[in-house]
Amino acid sequence: MPRERDVDRTESLYAKVDIYKLVPNLETCLQCGKCAGVCPVANLSPSYNPRQIINDILRGREDRWLKSEEIWRCFWCANCYTLCPMDIPFPLLMMQMRYLAIERGYGLKYFFPFKRFALRAIEDALTFSPAKPEARERIMKLRTAIGLPPWPEVSDKARAEYKALFDMTGATDFLNSITEEQEKPVDLMYLEGRITRGKSEGN
Amino acid sequence: MEKARVIRPEERIPSVPEKLFLFRSCTGSVEYPGTESAIRETLKLLGIEAVMDPDQTCCSGYLLTCSAHKPEVSLAVTARNLAIAEKKDLDTYTFCNGCFGYISELASILLHNPAYLEMANGIVSKLGYRYEGKTGIYHVQELWYRLKESIAEKVVRPLKGLRVATHNGCHYVARQYGILDDGGYPTFHEKMFEMLGATPVFYKERQLCCGYSVGRGFTHKETMVQPHLYKKFKSAKEAGVELLTTVCPGCNVALDREQPNLNMRYGEEFGIPVIDLAQLIALALGVPIQKLGFGANTTSLDGVLEKLGA
Repeated sequence: MPRERDVDRTESLYAKVDIYKLVPNLETCLQCGKCAGVCPVANLSPSYNPRQIINDILRGREDRWLKSEEIWRCFWCANCYTLCPMDIPFPLLMMQMRYLAIERGYGLKYFFPFKRFALRAIEDALTFSPAKPEARERIMKLRTAIGLPPWPEVSDKARAEYKALFDMTGATDFLNSITEEQEKPVDLMYLEGRITRGKSEGN
Repeated sequence: MEKARVIRPEERIPSVPEKLFLFRSCTGSVEYPGTESAIRETLKLLGIEAVMDPDQTCCSGYLLTCSAHKPEVSLAVTARNLAIAEKKDLDTYTFCNGCFGYISELASILLHNPAYLEMANGIVSKLGYRYEGKTGIYHVQELWYRLKESIAEKVVRPLKGLRVATHNGCHYVARQYGILDDGGYPTFHEKMFEMLGATPVFYKERQLCCGYSVGRGFTHKETMVQPHLYKKFKSAKEAGVELLTTVCPGCNVALDREQPNLNMRYGEEFGIPVIDLAQLIALALGVPIQKLGFGANTTSLDGVLEKLGA
């Protein structure tokens, strides 16, 4: 498996994108385009093109994608990774592209719903547990009818330690540091159907 | 390639465990609690003890991929949760493709990068945990497939004539190595349907993902997810699918809760109920219907249950 390679060798063209060194084999990309062919998002929205994104990152042109609407459309289905002849874990690259975009204030409107979910999750040590009493009531009713304990059994210890992990890893600070006034607008960067030309740079 | 892509269930799970650590899924216990219940009932019928632990937390993979978490926190949470399983000396069985995919990915990052393992253990050791990589990470669907013969023997409510189709869910098949079937075109769910007496249906867009991962169900519902799911349901309807199964409560949310919206937007009624594979197995094994929690479903199962006379 390529990801078992020595990660220290990732000092490369794309180190500023692959901050966490999770994609050691990006340079092996053949530009075969199978990823774009199998991508359900590219199918609906052709200017999202994984092959083009890799090409641009390897040429140091990731900036145009960071300001784009496209990178927020990926479904993370990993079809690209399943079909990739070189086993490039492309979803892990997209994840880091979005971190970089957030850092620069792009696409924040796609981040805030999950900031709220994350701050909620810290309370219950569960994701998607609703805050509203009537929604919680509905869940408890459903679970009781089935014969399960009314609320998923999550101990106080689990909740306290989950919160502690957020604090210790800086996750709480990260969530609180991103605020609405930092937001910059994003737009489709590549013209529909003309995926080789950047809208803003026009090269 | 050092590892085989597809391995036989007997290689994946050489000896069937008497006891396993069942990893609670947030969606599976909150949105569709029938999933959790069906799995516990089925395991009971198979003579396997499921141990759950109130100290276990969310896998925190979903919010990682939604960019709301940085890898540090998710790696630490994974190390802590898996350390709980290791303390019990048990293998970890998840029942959500999300939990499975994220935990295996994060565990693989920990085990192949000594610096990350040291970082994560450094943090969780302050709370008294240590992850060593001893616990195996499985999905319960692997156990169902491993035990398909004994499940088939125990069928008391054959699903005769029921046209069932699968939604495999990306985060199991995208693991690529050491899984039960070819990620490009897996068919092991269809084999399970046959063994339960149902008629497996192959529909054109069965490989399309649910579209809800990384939060697209919240951020791009109208622009991307609905046109995407419309294609899927249209082809399922054309193929005459009566029931869809998933192995991921997250996919279930997308496929079940989104159907009324598709009906409204496209003026086309699909009415294809979506349940977990474990709920289908439990149904065939005669587990009482009220324990399967179908009341949580938006798209009603009444037609299916009527057809089965259940």
